[in-house]
Amino acid sequence: MTASVEEIRAEVKKLLDEGAVKYVIGYRNGSAGPFAAPAFFTGAGEADELVWDPTCFHNLARFLADERREDVCAPEAEEDGKKPVGVVVKGCDSRAVAVLLQEKFVDRDAVYLIGVSCEDGGVIDEGKLARKLGTAKVEKIEFGVDGGFVVTTDEGPIKIESADILDDRCVECRAAYPVVHDVVIGEQVDRKPEEPYGSLDEIESLAPEERWEFWERELGKCIRCYACRSICPMCYCDECVADTIAFAVTADTTADEKAQKIKWVERSPDNSENFFYHLVRAMHLAGRCIDCNECERACPVDIPLRLLNKKLEKEAKELFDYDVGFDPDVPSLISSFRDEDPEDFIR
Amino acid sequence: MNDRFEPKIVAFLCKWCSSAGSDLAGVSRMQYPANVVPITVMCSGGVSPLYIFSAFKRGADGVLVSGCHPGDCHYIKGNLYARRRLALVKELLEHVGLEPERFQMSWVSAAEGAKYTELIKDFVDTLRPLGPQAKLRRRV
Ligand code: SF4
Ligand code: SF4
Ligand code: SF4
Ligand code: FES
Repeated sequence: MTASVEEIRAEVKKLLDEGAVKYVIGYRNGSAGPFAAPAFFTGAGEADELVWDPTCFHNLARFLADERREDVCAPEAEEDGKKPVGVVVKGCDSRAVAVLLQEKFVDRDAVYLIGVSCEDGGVIDEGKLARKLGTAKVEKIEFGVDGGFVVTTDEGPIKIESADILDDRCVECRAAYPVVHDVVIGEQVDRKPEEPYGSLDEIESLAPEERWEFWERELGKCIRCYACRSICPMCYCDECVADTIAFAVTADTTADEKAQKIKWVERSPDNSENFFYHLVRAMHLAGRCIDCNECERACPVDIPLRLLNKKLEKEAKELFDYDVGFDPDVPSLISSFRDEDPEDFIR
Repeated sequence: MNDRFEPKIVAFLCKWCSSAGSDLAGVSRMQYPANVVPITVMCSGGVSPLYIFSAFKRGADGVLVSGCHPGDCHYIKGNLYARRRLALVKELLEHVGLEPERFQMSWVSAAEGAKYTELIKDFVDTLRPLGPQAKLRRRV
């Protein structure tokens, strides 16, 4: 079973018809082959263009940061400025919204969450699909039965099993049902991944020196385009510590400002700077990253960023019994502690 | 001439306990290796991961963060926030392949000059065989 696109369209149509929302952020067919793209729906008539298929990778919670900035800049600018924004959210996306609510970055009233359950499915991994199909030209990717997929190529439709092309994050997903929502389309299916951190096994089994070589090679590719940061719903800071462009020193910069604005990291894609950027980013996402895997998907040079963020998600769970994005009302990972937090590493 | 490798340690010491503890070691004329660059911070809870990564980038061979014992923090619970945050920093550094021995954390009270002395001696002894830290060191 899968959530029906007709039901999602009907909900979007209704919301826009009634003027209950400012607009709806959803998915539409993209221009690049068979993959969906984020889309902003403002009129009920457009709702039929909405798509829901296994290429709806994007975490649309990302766009709430832009929305909030606009709001802060011009709170009363539009008559409908007070209406919520409708957002189509999968399970992982809803957990991103839960973190944004937890951090009071977004008001609950400011969003209308159209939850879609992935049920026993999820989104595909473009890389796995390409490896599976080779050169066949993919025209359409649809949900099949039992979490599998039906991929239509120029040679006709073929069934592909879930395990072959399902994205790793979905393989390890514990909550394919939206945790916060105003309405949900699709059924709640209990998912208990056998190994919720299985993708870390390989790297964790390496010796420190091998791990170093792995990251030296991977992070050495980084061109510091910051796509990983730009696409992340959690990277909403107006000034990023990694971005020295925002810290430009001009003739007018006072000594005091210079002292305040330390240049922690050079923009140069030398590996020592790349490590610094990625270590800092991983720390800033600890207890916040909900594993939507958008950063890794956006990375133009294929850096396995998920292995960094997933590691801290795992440690948060194992050391502090902290689950990310399940409850907007608990204190965040870094702003809390328990008396029994481990300290065997402290002398 | 002695040409053994002398590791450089950057130590973030909280003003109220650990820094006072290191002072006590000094005024009591306890002998400890001169490998430490101490940086006094108001509280271990104020040690941002940035400071630690930065110390390594600027060439530290080891980094120590030391604060008051749990229950003794001048700001009540700064050290408990630090304990959690720096546990994650430690995991992360190990995950990318830095030798786990290079980052340490300790509780040292104002009265524990002797503990501080021991700690530094041990840290230097652990770092020496590892040689210079080149992984996170700046190259530009
Ligand atoms: S991670 Fe879970 S909720 Fe997100 S797309 Fe995959 S199955 Fe759906
Ligand atoms: S760090 Fe990556 S996986 Fe985590 S929330 Fe941001 S984009 Fe998603
Ligand atoms: S998207 Fe990839 S290349 Fe770009 S900054 Fe992030 S890790 Fe580096
Ligand atoms: S003041 Fe010493 S740890 Fe907080």
